[in-house]
Amino acid sequence: MKNLNISKALPGIFLVIALIFPIFIHHDYVMHISWMIFLFAAMGVGWNLIGGYAGQLSLGHAAFFAVGAYTSALLYANFHLTPLIGGLAGGIVAMVFALLIGYPCFRLRGPFFTLSTIAFAEIVRILLLHFTGFTGGALGVTIPFTGERPLYLQFYSQVPYYYIALAILAAVLVFAFLFERSKTGYYLAAIREDQDAAESLGVKSYRVKLISLLCSAFIVALCGAFFAFVSGYIDPDGVCSIDFSTEIAVIVIIGGIGKLWGPVLGAALIIFLTEATNAYLGSLKGGAGMLLYGILLVVVVLTKPEGIISFFNIGKSKGGESIDDKHIGNAVTE
Amino acid sequence: MDGTSFMQSIINGLMIGGVYALFAVGLTIIFGVMDIVNFAHGEFLMLGMYLTWALSRFFPGVPYWLIIIVAPIMYVIGYFVYKLSVAKIIGKGHGLYILLTLGIGVILQNGALLLFSSDYRSINSVIKSAAINYGHFTIPTGRLIAFIMAIVCVIILNFFLNRTNLGRAMRATGEKSEVAKLLGINTEKTFAIAFGLGIMLAGISGLLLSPIFYTYPRVGVLFQTTAFVVVVLGGMGNVVGALIGGLIIGVMEALTGAYISLDLSILSTFVIFLLLLFFRPYGLFGKARGI
Amino acid sequence: MKKFVFKVFVVLALCSLVIGVNLNVIAAPKVVRIGFLNPLSGSNADAGQQDLNAAKLAVEDINNSGGIKSLKAKVELVIEDSTSDAKEAASAAQRLFTTKKVAGALGTGISGLTMPIQPIVERYRIPIVTNSVNDDITSKGYTYTFQVTPKGSQFGETQVNFFKYINDKYKLGLTKAAIVYENSGYGVSTAEGIQTLAQKAGLKVVLYQPYPHGFTDAGPLVTTIKSSGAEILFPVAYTTDAVLIINTMKAMNVSPLIIGGGAGFLWPAISEALGKNVNGLISVASWNWDSKNITEDPNMVAITERYEKKFGGFMTEHAGPSYLGVRLIAEAVDRAHSDDPVKVAAQMRKLSLAKGTIGAFMQPGRVKFEASGWNTTHPVMIQWQDNKPRTVYPEASATRSFDPSFLKK
Repeated sequence: MKNLNISKALPGIFLVIALIFPIFIHHDYVMHISWMIFLFAAMGVGWNLIGGYAGQLSLGHAAFFAVGAYTSALLYANFHLTPLIGGLAGGIVAMVFALLIGYPCFRLRGPFFTLSTIAFAEIVRILLLHFTGFTGGALGVTIPFTGERPLYLQFYSQVPYYYIALAILAAVLVFAFLFERSKTGYYLAAIREDQDAAESLGVKSYRVKLISLLCSAFIVALCGAFFAFVSGYIDPDGVCSIDFSTEIAVIVIIGGIGKLWGPVLGAALIIFLTEATNAYLGSLKGGAGMLLYGILLVVVVLTKPEGIISFFNIGKSKGGESIDDKHIGNAVTE
Repeated sequence: MDGTSFMQSIINGLMIGGVYALFAVGLTIIFGVMDIVNFAHGEFLMLGMYLTWALSRFFPGVPYWLIIIVAPIMYVIGYFVYKLSVAKIIGKGHGLYILLTLGIGVILQNGALLLFSSDYRSINSVIKSAAINYGHFTIPTGRLIAFIMAIVCVIILNFFLNRTNLGRAMRATGEKSEVAKLLGINTEKTFAIAFGLGIMLAGISGLLLSPIFYTYPRVGVLFQTTAFVVVVLGGMGNVVGALIGGLIIGVMEALTGAYISLDLSILSTFVIFLLLLFFRPYGLFGKARGI
Repeated sequence: MKKFVFKVFVVLALCSLVIGVNLNVIAAPKVVRIGFLNPLSGSNADAGQQDLNAAKLAVEDINNSGGIKSLKAKVELVIEDSTSDAKEAASAAQRLFTTKKVAGALGTGISGLTMPIQPIVERYRIPIVTNSVNDDITSKGYTYTFQVTPKGSQFGETQVNFFKYINDKYKLGLTKAAIVYENSGYGVSTAEGIQTLAQKAGLKVVLYQPYPHGFTDAGPLVTTIKSSGAEILFPVAYTTDAVLIINTMKAMNVSPLIIGGGAGFLWPAISEALGKNVNGLISVASWNWDSKNITEDPNMVAITERYEKKFGGFMTEHAGPSYLGVRLIAEAVDRAHSDDPVKVAAQMRKLSLAKGTIGAFMQPGRVKFEASGWNTTHPVMIQWQDNKPRTVYPEASATRSFDPSFLKK
């Protein structure tokens, strides 16, 4: 009983700390890293919907990010549309893409599904590069910084970005929490246990996975739109690379796949680690940060595949039994 | 575009296709025997290239004979990588295989970056600009040698798999590992050997490529995605399929590059890939393996 | 218990980050810091290294002649690796500007890495001097970006004009042109310029082909060049691709007249890779070590000689403008009597340096920035002779004549 009370209060405690944190520490670099962690965590939660809950390991999620980024950026460049609307539009376009790829890809199992997501993302990247007239090609899309314009997410200080990213993360976490406990969430848990048994009981696995993918795509695209306007410049190799897709997946895996807070932990750990290594070793030798990240991944896979969050025993997800050792192997298999 | 350019494109495609084939064969063996898609295969190619480059600093000149040093070293590396990491997660599901090999790939890539920096290395040998001219056609020598050696390796490998006891044991393990165990085959050892073999082939591919391409930490990435397509095209686990698949993909890339647009040549490979995955995931020559 | 440990862990992690950051921000007195942001890893590291060498030399020269005199301060270079990835570059810029107090910064030399950091530069109001060339860098209304080099679109003009010059002078009678370019910020910008001008000059563009950066096989590209019947080739590439293309062309016996598009065609690596075969190769350049504006001023010549002595090999196309960039920032700091970046930027906009000053380092022999941040300058054409790039065009900048013996057939 006591466990349950504390773990219910924990999100609230974190939220309060996060909300008041900038009052004490608002150094731009700290704010910058913080919103990066929030953003990657939000993307991770989005990925988790399909990678963790549905057990479909996608290594092509950067494509959704790119779709969101490009849609909102191009809507701005051509129609001066605010990202508040442009982002939503990007999310919708991403859902269309999700339908297109989910439909054929879900027939594939295990590594074949993963390979197909890689192929899909690469196709998107190549097309973005090719249609120079439409997307700017290799030159990318620029959203020049011309002063404080809140409606277009242009701020001098990093603090507003911190709060916006925090809001996005909070909204996404609430969504995931509800998703876990929805009918779809329960069906997914059943499919993860034993897809054939679930189907024999009338669960339409295809439909359920597709819904997961749609939600996942929307969330990640929204994050892409945010990123486009914060950074002011996007290009195909930057927002649609396989390295980026892998990073999103690995953040969730290291943190704790299939667990609500896994992505948050993973994002905090990875980004903190990479920034720290770049800051202290970057000017000496490139690659140290990524090497660490590779080693971490291998270590986690070999010793604790459920992710680092299992050390803390937080986040027992509802919707049936908790996701433990036995299920993780299945969660990312057929 | 005229007939000469068409033929020249075919030749270009075949030459590079040979190397794709050898590289993909390593990948397909690992999958065929152990059901593992090796996401670090490209990095082992890169390792082979760096190894060759390092050796060529002591032994200047044409590097092909260095295969007698590179091949065994790469085999041993593959064997030990298997024993130290992959062996521990056998049977735990595809997801973990993918993640582990991804992690190994990242470590190799960034390890190379730290050790050798991102400078592009190359083997300075006359091979680089030598070519055989036959009428209107040109065949760059380096590519021709790579092609020939790749085909020879595949033939030797096929012989090994079909005619030797060890090879047959590997194939049996690949088909039905439980039955193989019952028959007294040491599946653990077979897996290790298969993995070592696959890595060795990746390393040899690297050696063959080193006179014609630059060596740098990320060179494996380019070949890896193509290798996946070749393996699926030829049928996972099918060595001859991988050979033919490699040649087909090589030619296709060359023709797309020549006739449609160069930057779209990789696109055609991916589109074919997706089509294969959707409609014929067991490839042109593979059997439906209950994927 | 475990949850408590978790919370403590998070708090400790954040604390250490904050402490680490603050330690860097405490500035020491009597030192003016100039930031350096260029790729020191990844595919563009060779360019970044040239920039770094130059920046280090500039700082040395500044300090050896009294530092920033109006502040009685020495100059210190703060080095940050942008890597060759756009997102990383933006992070690196963010880190540089928020944790180190710099009066200005040099960066980057690669168009695809400069554009992502411009919004950050503008946001933090730090003047940066860049030696990349994409036209968009100075056309988006940014006020803190200063480009010392010519624009990408000018490259094409110079290349075509030079071609016309030798076409007429040596009666070559060539008309069919092929343009192949790397699909990147630098490549696209330059190629567009070449195409427009080639057409204007009455040349027939028989091939206009982008290729993916870092491609491994130039065979298809060269086959396409061959079948287009091109007599002139305008390639735009960084080092490794340039060498790959040239070697493949040689292997496949494809030999149009090559008018290189800068970058890889004039950096030392191509000379190392091709050996004697590099001689005769023509390329456009944003700067060259032996242009007249330099050779007629002994102080400028001395700089190039110091570079050669310290780093071995001629002062490269990246090194020259980077050296100049650091010197300009120091000059602006001196005039502003302050290392406040906003004041420094104001001085940069007013700079007008001509003969007898460091301004002579850039052709046509003076530096002055337009409102857009662009220094009105022009490219030069070089030809490799004796394994060094020599300026052969335009006449006002040339110190050697073009050697036509390399024109075949």
